[in-house]
Amino acid sequence: MGDGLKGKNAVVTGAGRGIGREIALALGREGANVLVNDLGASITGTEAAATPADEVVAEIKKMGVSAAANYESVTDFDAAERIIKACVDNFGRIDILVNVAGILRDRMLFNMSEEEWDAVIAVHLKGTFNTTRHASRLMREQKWGRIINTTSDAWRGTVGHANYGAAKGGIVSFSYAVAREMGRYGVTCNVICPIAATRMTLSDEVKEGFKKRLDAGLVTKERYDEIMSIPPPEFVPPVAVYLASDHAVDINGAVLGCGGGRVALYSEPVEIRGIYKDHQKDGPWTMDELKDLVPKTLLTGYVNPAPVQTEGAKT
Amino acid sequence: MGDRLRGKSAVVTGAGRGIGREIALALAREGANVVVNDLGSATPEGGELSHSAADEAVAEIKKLGVGALANYDNVADFTAAEGMVRACVEGFGGIDILVNNAGIRRHRFIVDMTEEDWDVVIGTHLKGAFNLCRHAVPLMKEHKYGRIINITSRQWLRAEGMANYAAAKGGIVSLTYGLAFELGQYGITCNAVAPLALTRGLRFSLPRFKKVFEDGLITREHYERLVNQAGPEFVPPIVVYLASEYGAGVNGRVFHAEGGKVSLFSVSEEQRAIYKDHAKDGPWSLDELIALMPKTLLAE
Repeated sequence: MGDGLKGKNAVVTGAGRGIGREIALALGREGANVLVNDLGASITGTEAAATPADEVVAEIKKMGVSAAANYESVTDFDAAERIIKACVDNFGRIDILVNVAGILRDRMLFNMSEEEWDAVIAVHLKGTFNTTRHASRLMREQKWGRIINTTSDAWRGTVGHANYGAAKGGIVSFSYAVAREMGRYGVTCNVICPIAATRMTLSDEVKEGFKKRLDAGLVTKERYDEIMSIPPPEFVPPVAVYLASDHAVDINGAVLGCGGGRVALYSEPVEIRGIYKDHQKDGPWTMDELKDLVPKTLLTGYVNPAPVQTEGAKT
Repeated sequence: MGDRLRGKSAVVTGAGRGIGREIALALAREGANVVVNDLGSATPEGGELSHSAADEAVAEIKKLGVGALANYDNVADFTAAEGMVRACVEGFGGIDILVNNAGIRRHRFIVDMTEEDWDVVIGTHLKGAFNLCRHAVPLMKEHKYGRIINITSRQWLRAEGMANYAAAKGGIVSLTYGLAFELGQYGITCNAVAPLALTRGLRFSLPRFKKVFEDGLITREHYERLVNQAGPEFVPPIVVYLASEYGAGVNGRVFHAEGGKVSLFSVSEEQRAIYKDHAKDGPWSLDELIALMPKTLLAE
């Protein structure tokens, strides 16, 4: 037990299971009181049950700090206000907000239904906005606050869940914006990008799929072992706890990778190369100019990450 | 007049005015037929709708000797988006190029942002881009050819008082990365362009940017750059390039276009990391991170 967060009050969304649960427990272990929000849903967001939140609350209380449960959906703007209010009503104020709640509806874009898009954007992206919006007013008033949002490596592009990637990219950019707006009030907003084996990321179904691909020679043994040895979620929290503490006062608008024994800082995209012309004198770029210049300037060294598959090529 | 896009058909959303209109005209100048989608909102925040913006752009494109059709529907509507793609296919025989440009602004600080401010901005930019992609991609996949260009904004990285817009534009960038990975194998490319131009949207936001500047959130240099911005007619060249045969090998990248400048953005990458043997020594402790972080990940 530590006291790095003694007297602080936190809301953790999606804290009934997996990464959210581990973060809630870790905050409790450092002395914070925790409002545990969880719908108790399956990973696709259906079949709600209250029990996961209650179990986490019971476990946190054993640490000698306060905990309370909330079972509402972060997708509802007014419910999000009640989640924040529950923290204030139970513990006196809100100091720390950790947005973890999320669902998956994996599908290739050309097969994705409107509902699959909407559900994923609503929980991750709107959910993050909803709680942040309500907490930001209170944090501005008290001139202290820590907002920690959760993204995923899918933010940098992966195959099979464009909805999830878009939501996670939206969360990163939203967090950059909130960081810039709220910093002067003593409120920081950062993003964690965890890697952990949870029921969402490494389900039995996913494991079985990888086993089949290994047996069929579609993945190397090395890659298979790497996937199967993804560390469990209890290694994600340290960086979140650190960001929530007084020591992280000057870290704002950062994306930090975490999981296992790794903590990493991600760079922000920057303009790496540019071409210029005097547009006022010589007008806009022409196609002839660009077709000659772009490949040997902007795109020097560029490798197409997904080249076209030629007829008969092996996958 | 060029002929680099002769016989190609394009849908450009939000093409009645500003950057979208300039892109639609530039595609047509290279020979493409264009569906001009525009809701015709009275202001960059929404308001009364009118057909005149889309109709005028269509009339101008037709003068170039190519086909043009107007569509006045809302990209935020999944079914309406299907109609835009269908209009292109029925009018011109297929869809080769999709430019997701339609946008709306609700410039508010996070503490004052309403649910509606959030929903309408995410709905138009992010869901709008998804909607059009979702309906265009199966057709492009079938023809093993497609060019998707999503319009994002530098606000994706440096938002000043518009977290909804930033989130939408960041979502669009990540959607672009994901679709590039998914669709490259089918001969479809997906890239993003972040333009900066003195449009009615920027003009509308200038008073807000002035306040943001006075509050010390942006530098004078940054503010003056916004005020003295070049017009939207300088944005299209890189979009037309990406839409052409020359753009075939370019996939999953974000470009910036502003006046006489075109540049390429890097992708976020792991910059620095610290490691411990977690299996042996357990998770990082708070004390370890307090001691290590400032002199490793966060060192100057």
